[in-house]
Amino acid sequence: MSSLGGVITNIDFAILIYFLALNSFYALLLLLSIPEIWEQTRLAEDDDFQRLMQSDALPPITMLVPAYNESATIEASVTAMLTLEYRSYEIIVVNDGSKDDTIEQLRHAFDLYEVPRIYPETIPTKPLRAVYRSRTRSRLLVLDKENGGKADSLNAAINASRFPLVIAVDADTLIEPDALLRLTRPFLLGRRIAAVGGTVRVVNNCTVKDGRVTDARVPRRLLPGVQVVEYLRAFLFGRLGWNRLGGNLVISGAFGLFRKEYLATIGGYRTTSIVEDLDLVVRLHRHLRAHKIPYEMPFIPDPVAWTEVPESGKILGRQRERWHRGLISAMWQYRGMLFNPRYGRVGLLAMPFFAFGEMLAPLVEVFGYVVTAIGLSAGKLNWSFALLFMLVAWGYGMLLSIWAVVLEEVSFRRYRRFGDLLLLLLYASLENFGYRQRTVWWRLKAFVTVWKHGRVWGEMTRKGFAAPPS
Amino acid sequence: MTSRQFLLVVAVVQGVLLGALITLIILNRWFRLRRSAHLQPRRVAADDAMRRWAAGSTPLAGVLIGLARLPPSLAIDALVGWSARVPGERWRDLAAALEHQWWARLVRTNGSSARWWKRLECARFLSVGAMPGDVARLTRLINDPHAAVHVAAVASLERMESTPLTLAALERLPGLAPTVQAYYAGMLRRSRPVVIQHLLKRLRLTDDPGLSRFAEFAVRLAEPALRERMTALADHQDPEVRIQAARALGSFPHRESVAALTRLAADSAWEVRAQAARALGMIADATTLPLVRGLVRDTEWWVRLRAGLALMRFGAAGRNALLEIEVGADPDARNVAKLILGLPTQALAEFAA
Repeated sequence: MSSLGGVITNIDFAILIYFLALNSFYALLLLLSIPEIWEQTRLAEDDDFQRLMQSDALPPITMLVPAYNESATIEASVTAMLTLEYRSYEIIVVNDGSKDDTIEQLRHAFDLYEVPRIYPETIPTKPLRAVYRSRTRSRLLVLDKENGGKADSLNAAINASRFPLVIAVDADTLIEPDALLRLTRPFLLGRRIAAVGGTVRVVNNCTVKDGRVTDARVPRRLLPGVQVVEYLRAFLFGRLGWNRLGGNLVISGAFGLFRKEYLATIGGYRTTSIVEDLDLVVRLHRHLRAHKIPYEMPFIPDPVAWTEVPESGKILGRQRERWHRGLISAMWQYRGMLFNPRYGRVGLLAMPFFAFGEMLAPLVEVFGYVVTAIGLSAGKLNWSFALLFMLVAWGYGMLLSIWAVVLEEVSFRRYRRFGDLLLLLLYASLENFGYRQRTVWWRLKAFVTVWKHGRVWGEMTRKGFAAPPS
Repeated sequence: MTSRQFLLVVAVVQGVLLGALITLIILNRWFRLRRSAHLQPRRVAADDAMRRWAAGSTPLAGVLIGLARLPPSLAIDALVGWSARVPGERWRDLAAALEHQWWARLVRTNGSSARWWKRLECARFLSVGAMPGDVARLTRLINDPHAAVHVAAVASLERMESTPLTLAALERLPGLAPTVQAYYAGMLRRSRPVVIQHLLKRLRLTDDPGLSRFAEFAVRLAEPALRERMTALADHQDPEVRIQAARALGSFPHRESVAALTRLAADSAWEVRAQAARALGMIADATTLPLVRGLVRDTEWWVRLRAGLALMRFGAAGRNALLEIEVGADPDARNVAKLILGLPTQALAEFAA
């Protein structure tokens, strides 16, 4: 029994060290997010948008909008996108073999007529059925193709795009009118941008009028409410912190701007990936680093897109399981970048953090719970010590979430009502009691799925090194 | 210290931090609400004063008082917002009057601050309120290492004619990213004579690594005085320079332009051919119709598209050529013709831009 006690103590000590290292890194991100949000807020406030709108300096953009069974919302979404405050842009909607009447809705709403395809298929995709232009909206192009998934649709849209910058937008995402304008700020600042990401916020419980969020509210229900805090934490503090470390590994698939030439070079989105945006960004980093092309992939907090988050535990669980499976897949697939100095800070810092911090955290956490439970039942651990340990671990999580609320409050203050602010603080506090454990469970299920079906490992063997498809 | 004591210390520190953060959030919200309630009437008053002064119903003094009651950053926002709505002569009166305001003097001293946001504030102010005495300060700001600062400072050229400032901005051009350069170009339009003289000199330096950037800038000006230089650059060895030459020559309907574009239409770089096709369409010289028609069968789709769009600018003859191509043997050319013939007028204009 004494040897069991020793083992438990050692394991607990190792877990403590793991969380200490991880939390220290989070603390570093937290500190780095302070100057970053300061700078970004300053720049956002000082932009003279009228002057920008009148200048012809802004680069033209193609919006890529994959749509699958979006019949109910497609007209409103596309109409809202067509009224964005940006001088030169086109919208390419890709009907990905929808089973509903998405294409008929589009045809009727925008007076579509069929045109021949004149561009080459730079990135191979599922066959196109037809290409349509609109008689009433000259910015709009619609592709109708056989079902191939979101990544395939995005690739088809990249092939058809005319402009040097492309932005992937989900058909059910609401983009703020000046978001494109704000997203191009780094280009106007002369930076060598490969990709730039904006903030995705939670639209649940907000008032939406004509495809625009007119009143931002925090959801009253716990599950979507906690996700508001999660999104704030992920965007305002995580990604801003990574800006300073030069290794943003995630540009949201729902709202991210990319330089098209780089996407074409790496073969566009990988159709077999589980989370196509993470996969794309990692491959982009790998390509640009490997070829010593100077670049930046910043996150800009003030351009905003709004998205609906799951309100039921079942759907949320499925989403989180898929996201984590995508993370495991990407980490396994690109493990050659781990601790590889060839990839600079991405290889030495970002990849190890995502692999050992984000990916393995649920395993370590559950392992810690199990060992602690064994230790307690065997009388090898003291109850008060274990509770104190849990309190400190959860208290740290709470601190990080409340810090995200602080960043929101000192910068953008989208939630104007005092009641909403208190709700945010409440959700930030409650997140660690129940919700966090559920997310750990869902992420753990991702490991089980991978283990059972061997999907990730199977895919790995079929993947070439950033080679564009022939 | 035992591990229990360590955890206890951490827990206490966390508790204090949590309490401090929550207090900070609530105090910050309260403070901002109070500040907003305090400043809003002043902002409205300054806006009203500006509106009345712009309409000529109130003397300038009211505006100056209104602006002085605002924090400098808000006063600058108000100035930038109103600058586009007030005629130049009246605005110059305001800028001159602001020179003696304490807050404007303070903002001006920020031009040499070590903090970029202070310099940015100064640059934004000077972009609408600069006087001849500010040239040295603005020159320094135009050469500022922070992009936001020099981008704001160069906007002063929209309202102010100054040769040293214009030259400082022009010298920065080759080192700027294309988007920034395009922004500079917009700001430099007012100082056209100085810019043209400088460009004529720079475009002669054919070994200059920044030549393509100057040529690109010259395209934006579409200045007839630059035609000869741009025609000469059509035979430059750098394809990027030839692209710019092709783009520029479309604005100059001249037989030398047509001859140069005819050569460029057979260039080995498809980007040059595409721009040559576009430029030939802009000139729409009837003798080049067969050449443009031939480009619709180019191996590169972008050249085919550009040539097809160019044909539409040749009037009935070009349209007839497209109709013939639409039923011709080349499937790629057929598709281009079919697409272009079906485009509505607005789409056609957007495609051709």
